[in-house]
Amino acid sequence: MSDRGRAAAPRWAAVGVLVAVLVSLPAVVGALPVEDADVFAPDLRAAVLASDSVGYSGYAESAGGLALPVTDQLTSVADLFSDRTTMRVWWRGPADHRVDVVTTAGETGVHRDAGGSWTWEYERATATRTEAAPLELPAAPDLLPPSLGRRLLSEAADAELTRIGARRVAGRDALGLRLEPAAPAASVRRVDVWVDGDSGLPVQVEVVAKGSDRPALDTRFLDLELAVPPAEVTAFRPPPGATARNGRQAEVLREAGDRVRPVALPPELAGLPRRVLDGAPRGIGLYGSGVTLLAVAPVPEGLARALDDTLAQSPDAVVDDAGARIAAGPVGLMLVEPPGRGPYVLTGTVTLDALVTAAGQLPELAGTG
Amino acid sequence: MITVELRKMFRRPRTWATIAVLNALPVLVAVLLVVTDLAPRPGEGPPFLSAVLRNGSLYPLAALAIVLPLFLPIAVAVISGDAVAGEAQAGTLRYLLARPVGRTRLLVAKLVAVLAFVVVTVVVVAAVGYLVGTTLFDAQPIGGTSVSGTSLTSEQITGRTVLAIGYVAVSMLGVAAFGLFFSTMTDSPLAATMGALAVLVTSSLLFTLDAASPIAPYLPTRYWLAFVDLFRDPIQWRDLTRGLALQGVYVGVLLAAAWANFTTKDVTS
Repeated sequence: MSDRGRAAAPRWAAVGVLVAVLVSLPAVVGALPVEDADVFAPDLRAAVLASDSVGYSGYAESAGGLALPVTDQLTSVADLFSDRTTMRVWWRGPADHRVDVVTTAGETGVHRDAGGSWTWEYERATATRTEAAPLELPAAPDLLPPSLGRRLLSEAADAELTRIGARRVAGRDALGLRLEPAAPAASVRRVDVWVDGDSGLPVQVEVVAKGSDRPALDTRFLDLELAVPPAEVTAFRPPPGATARNGRQAEVLREAGDRVRPVALPPELAGLPRRVLDGAPRGIGLYGSGVTLLAVAPVPEGLARALDDTLAQSPDAVVDDAGARIAAGPVGLMLVEPPGRGPYVLTGTVTLDALVTAAGQLPELAGTG
Repeated sequence: MITVELRKMFRRPRTWATIAVLNALPVLVAVLLVVTDLAPRPGEGPPFLSAVLRNGSLYPLAALAIVLPLFLPIAVAVISGDAVAGEAQAGTLRYLLARPVGRTRLLVAKLVAVLAFVVVTVVVVAAVGYLVGTTLFDAQPIGGTSVSGTSLTSEQITGRTVLAIGYVAVSMLGVAAFGLFFSTMTDSPLAATMGALAVLVTSSLLFTLDAASPIAPYLPTRYWLAFVDLFRDPIQWRDLTRGLALQGVYVGVLLAAAWANFTTKDVTS
């Protein structure tokens, strides 16, 4: 072997060691022990529900595998649940926060204040003002781990909750809380909420559907700082040169409600009791509680036809005498068109069997199927 | 040694021809934008291109975003792939090493020359972009709007543009390091360039795949477009710092490998 050949071995070995150290670093950091705390599940849930006034700022990512079969009008809502969404958030309180959905080339920021919210879209150079309403379409802020965690745990019974150890999320030790809905109609197998022990703030939420081991929705913080952010970060004023306009979301919801034909819906469907939701159009029936919810709406023919076309193109849809139905993760959707009568849409976090049962109990169908 | 390499690099017509070709695309895009007045739709096209129609002084950023995905890394791969292998192919490497300078010093000199090319190229693209932007579009001397919808003064825009130019230059160091490493492995500059480009294409492709998301943070192209984060308000440092660190790791490892290889191999050509 030449002198140069002999010199090569130690030099390459040094490079090899350098590479090995660098490659193993993430695994070593990930394997650091996580400290669990002796907290009971109901107490942890109470801490989560009390966390909406905790100030924080951070960077969160949600990944959804829910390919919702929707018509063109709701693509932005569908994208939220089927795509990877990255968000920056500054939270001073429920009526004072800012959430930016960050994309490679732009961002859409929602600035919430006491009277409503400003939505800034950079690539359109447009600021939209929306007044606060009791019922709003799902938006990116609803996907943040704290918002989603509080919503999903808000109606959970103590018997449905268990503790599942701890893990590290965004560099913090997070305590695990598992919700397994008791209702037989539930399509959600479990919801795992990982909670910062000191503040009660959910830092990661995973929703797993029945029949699956992988989360249908996973939202988590990648960075989190527990301090009240300054007010000037959440405030917003439309910049010069931008288009400022008023949002039409409330009108859209009202118009949708007006198009629903008045039908007297039963007090219970598929074993789920009827409930009232502030701001929901009166013709729409809402059933269930917690993470097991069902909505029933007698819809106009045009909407039903558009939905029927969408379902017909979906290879996962089931079409038989009971109606056309499809499941996207834990979200089920069914279109029923009784002959000679107006169509119904049934949707929610219930199993497809529960949708069929509920459809059979609708006023115009009960006793006919 | 370093001066010699720098002089050699910038006396070559090929170097300036490459820089000129790099500038042709942003100029063409600017002319087309002015003629048609058609901005890319939201979510499409390179970052900042739609904002340029409102404020031409942002065109340096749009120009960098236009050349960043493909043209700029190709140019860097060509120059860095040629660094050592070009000398070997021309039969001059032997004579270079006959001088009383160590191989490590020669490698460092080659690296500095490639880095100088990267910096000069990025600065020229930004400068030509500024000239084109302020000539062809309406420029707002009082400032502009950040990506987050807040107002930025012209000083803030200038400062952040300088940082963006620096960040793009650093982002190219990974490609340069791959090119230089492959350049020490072969006597063919074309093979070295193609090797660096293969790494680039692989990284860009994997970045678009959801299945590759566990390794995405380690891909050399992952944080290239993070310079956009300098124009959010507050500045989002997360991806910028990760991008700098990642380029640092690639440059460190590949230079160590290039050094281990080049200082111990038998040079016959």
